[in-house]
Amino acid sequence: MPRPARTDPRVDLAITAACCVAAFLCLVFPATARNSAAAKLRGSLVAPLAALQEKAELSRRSFLGHDAAVQIADSVTLRSLRLVGVEEENERLRRLLGLASAVKWGFIPAEALQGRGLGDETTITLSAGKFAGVEPLSPVVVSEGLVGMVERVDNSLSLAIIWPHPDFRVSAMTADGVAFGIVRAHPGQGASRYLLELQGVPLRAQLKPGTLVVASGLGGVYPKGVPIGTILQEIKTPEGYARSYLVRPAVRLQDVTSVMIVRPARVRAGIENVWARAAAGDSAIKGVVAAGDSARRDSVRREASRRDSVRRDSVRKDSLKRDTLRRVP
Amino acid sequence: MSIAKSLWFALVLLLLVVLQYTLRPVLAWRAPIDFLTIALLLVAVRARPGVAAAAGFALGLLADSLTPDAFGAGALAMTVVGFGASWLKAAFFADNIALNGIFVFLGKWAFDLIFLVAERRLQGTDLLVQAVLWSPISAAATALMGLLVLLAVRPVLGAPRT
Repeated sequence: MPRPARTDPRVDLAITAACCVAAFLCLVFPATARNSAAAKLRGSLVAPLAALQEKAELSRRSFLGHDAAVQIADSVTLRSLRLVGVEEENERLRRLLGLASAVKWGFIPAEALQGRGLGDETTITLSAGKFAGVEPLSPVVVSEGLVGMVERVDNSLSLAIIWPHPDFRVSAMTADGVAFGIVRAHPGQGASRYLLELQGVPLRAQLKPGTLVVASGLGGVYPKGVPIGTILQEIKTPEGYARSYLVRPAVRLQDVTSVMIVRPARVRAGIENVWARAAAGDSAIKGVVAAGDSARRDSVRREASRRDSVRRDSVRKDSLKRDTLRRVP
Repeated sequence: MSIAKSLWFALVLLLLVVLQYTLRPVLAWRAPIDFLTIALLLVAVRARPGVAAAAGFALGLLADSLTPDAFGAGALAMTVVGFGASWLKAAFFADNIALNGIFVFLGKWAFDLIFLVAERRLQGTDLLVQAVLWSPISAAATALMGLLVLLAVRPVLGAPRT
């Protein structure tokens, strides 16, 4: 005999309908209401989970680093192949250190936690929040350039929109200050979805591919001089009064692991030329490394020539000895 | 369900939620395993549709709090999947590995499809590629993991109610 149902199916339907309506309301409510609800969850129930995620990502990086180190030690050939990745990582960290020393004050280092799930392509969670001094509308940068902007701040985490976000806008100019415009995410599909667009460039300003585009500092959110990307090509748009260009972003999002959140006070104080100085410092370091390499090459060359002269001396002495022996009757 | 079994069940659910925020970022796959969906389906096959829907709503909101631009999309998708899974469990939850796998696969794919539509971020080709390529791969990975979890918990928790 079938067991009688303990609950009326209509109750199930009512609960489900209530949940669906609540979820739908979450979707259509104004952004402020949704954000405050999400912030409450992030600050309470989800906080330990986000902390776990941060640890997991750090562990993954350590694991991958360890794996690479073991493989490097395995053989010289493999090491030379693997070193490319390690060198890139070193390069990034060195540039970030150079950038930090150039900025000197007014920034907060943070780890970028990328969920890699649906809905995570346009925002990142940062491992620093209100307690660390993060404020909304703070620009997020790396040594390569601009990543995005902090949108919401919780006690120990913050959320930033990154450049593919549809709301991302930066007042920009070319590095030589010839042309100004607005940079936003390129609304294309497929691979071009991961490009930017420089809009509103005056018709007289024709930009060549490869031209560096930086933040102009107008608007007060993004500091002047932060690299945004380089011009790829002009694109045709319906409006005929201005030019638009496709821009290759300076920052590859898959490489964004450690970032710097620049405080608004530091933005107001100006960090112009910091990226140029960081690049100069970096090239100076490369120069030192190259000088070390050439010194080592010189010493090897000297050692080789010394051995060569010793060998020639011994050959000469041998030949003299042979000649002397030949002369003896 | 006895108290001991209830505690075991809660522990398994907690473990799956923790795995979502630890193992998933460590693996960092393009088509990731969704441990929250597995947890929801475990609840759904043991609870009434209303309870499963409420559990889905709660899990969805938790996940949405880290992606505020899609806040509510995960909750809606999880609610529908929880309710549907609980409603269909009698048909699917026979002692058949293949049917259980299909159950988890369809649950995860349905979640992704509802999420993608509700979120309204991807459009055109990108939406199509995500919906018919990456989501099914993710669903297959989730189904494999779901089967492992089901096989692991069945001796402790017993067969689900139908």
